[in-house]
Amino acid sequence: MATNDNILQAQHLFKTYKGTIHALDDVSLDIPRNTATVIIGPSGSGKSTLLRSFNLLEEPDKGEVLFDGLVINQKKKPFKKPPVDLDAVRTKMGMVFQHFNLFPHKTILENMTLAPIKVKNMPQNEAEEKALELLDRVGLADRRDAYPIQLSGGQKQRVAIMRALAMEPEVMLFDEPTSALDPEMVGEVLNVIKDLVRSGMTSVIVTHEMGFAREVADTVVFMDEGRIQEMGAPSKLFSNPSSPRCKDFLSKVLY
Amino acid sequence: MVSIEGFAKMLDYLPYFERGVLYTILLAFCSVLLGLVLALLLAFMRLAKGKYIGRLLRFISGAYIEFVRGTPLLVQLYIFYYGIFTFITVPAFNLFGFIDSSRFIPGIVAIAFNSAGYVAEIVRGGIQGVDFGQTEAARSLGLTQKQNMRFIVLPQAIKNILPAIANEFVTIIKESSICSVIGMAEIMYAANLVRGATFRALEPLLVAAMLYFLLTFPTSKAIQAIERRMRRGDER
Repeated sequence: MATNDNILQAQHLFKTYKGTIHALDDVSLDIPRNTATVIIGPSGSGKSTLLRSFNLLEEPDKGEVLFDGLVINQKKKPFKKPPVDLDAVRTKMGMVFQHFNLFPHKTILENMTLAPIKVKNMPQNEAEEKALELLDRVGLADRRDAYPIQLSGGQKQRVAIMRALAMEPEVMLFDEPTSALDPEMVGEVLNVIKDLVRSGMTSVIVTHEMGFAREVADTVVFMDEGRIQEMGAPSKLFSNPSSPRCKDFLSKVLY
Repeated sequence: MVSIEGFAKMLDYLPYFERGVLYTILLAFCSVLLGLVLALLLAFMRLAKGKYIGRLLRFISGAYIEFVRGTPLLVQLYIFYYGIFTFITVPAFNLFGFIDSSRFIPGIVAIAFNSAGYVAEIVRGGIQGVDFGQTEAARSLGLTQKQNMRFIVLPQAIKNILPAIANEFVTIIKESSICSVIGMAEIMYAANLVRGATFRALEPLLVAAMLYFLLTFPTSKAIQAIERRMRRGDER
């Protein structure tokens, strides 16, 4: 019971790039179910690396990543079966990328149904029905036969979010979901994420949108130089940060 | 010298050339297909990860590619025909009455093994050219490495390398002329035959050259058209 209150846990993660830069320097973070955790910090602070460690797109050098109380980053031994079926675990974690990463050779509908059909063995008509329902939620059902290139950035990101949701994940990971968007499209994407958080979807969000962070976060995590410098409720962290680094960062981004 | 009568005489030997064209097309097609399969295998080996097995696979495919590229096709063809295939019995059959399996199979195998050495690097480039974000998205949705390759990476890679593969097909149509030396009855073989029969040197060769061109030119054009069409999906 105790462990499973947290859907995701990072325990003493370390990661270095090219042997010198500490992307993660002893980072531990629990993600409780049905909460929104927003990670902020300057570029290169390790916030994306931490987020990507949760579904092991980035493999930490040291430390443990737990999903639902189960360690998922045990090293595979040669000639042995991996101790955890990472592919199966990943189906329970949706991920949204800065650059959308829709599949350009597939239509919007195919983007949505590919994983449910191939991974979950869902019948095609059922997968399509569900995909259309999801697309309808973001007003894009009529673009089902379009290709990603024909959509605006905001539309692409909304499709990408729904593509992740089509797998019915237990937690959503957002990696700077609005950083590649034109300013006028940021709002439409943030609104989708906001609705999702309000509906109770456990979310971990890396973002530079401070207003959004303040509004949706249950917990705000401030990272710098590969470490969590400070974390807490948004009301506390934004109005009265205790660490000098966080103070300095906020004074530069909140103006 | 070249003369009108000379070319008129060629008409008598039209069936030889006809067979030659059919032979060349079949030879090139089978070779490219088999070569592509081998190339995919070599490319995957070249991209293998891992300290021990991966390193071994990378070394084997790398060495193979360098060897194939560094030795003449003619030598490779002889090695297969007079060497390797003296130990292997191929099923005896005869296609259309003039394609003899005992020469045809060693021929396509030799050309395919040669072609694979070149195409493997093209395929590898194509696979590496697909944005890594595609793989990340696929894996984050729970697709296995294999499914990711099959449904996401390869379709995009093949689209990117299609012009290069088509080019390879055109190259092989031309290079397969070397197969005449082991008696494969393709276009060049027909030209040699007609040369001996008519005592005319230039006309059969000009006919052969024209036939090769008639094969290669439309092929390149057709591939260009297909390419344009496939690209329609990502434009606008």
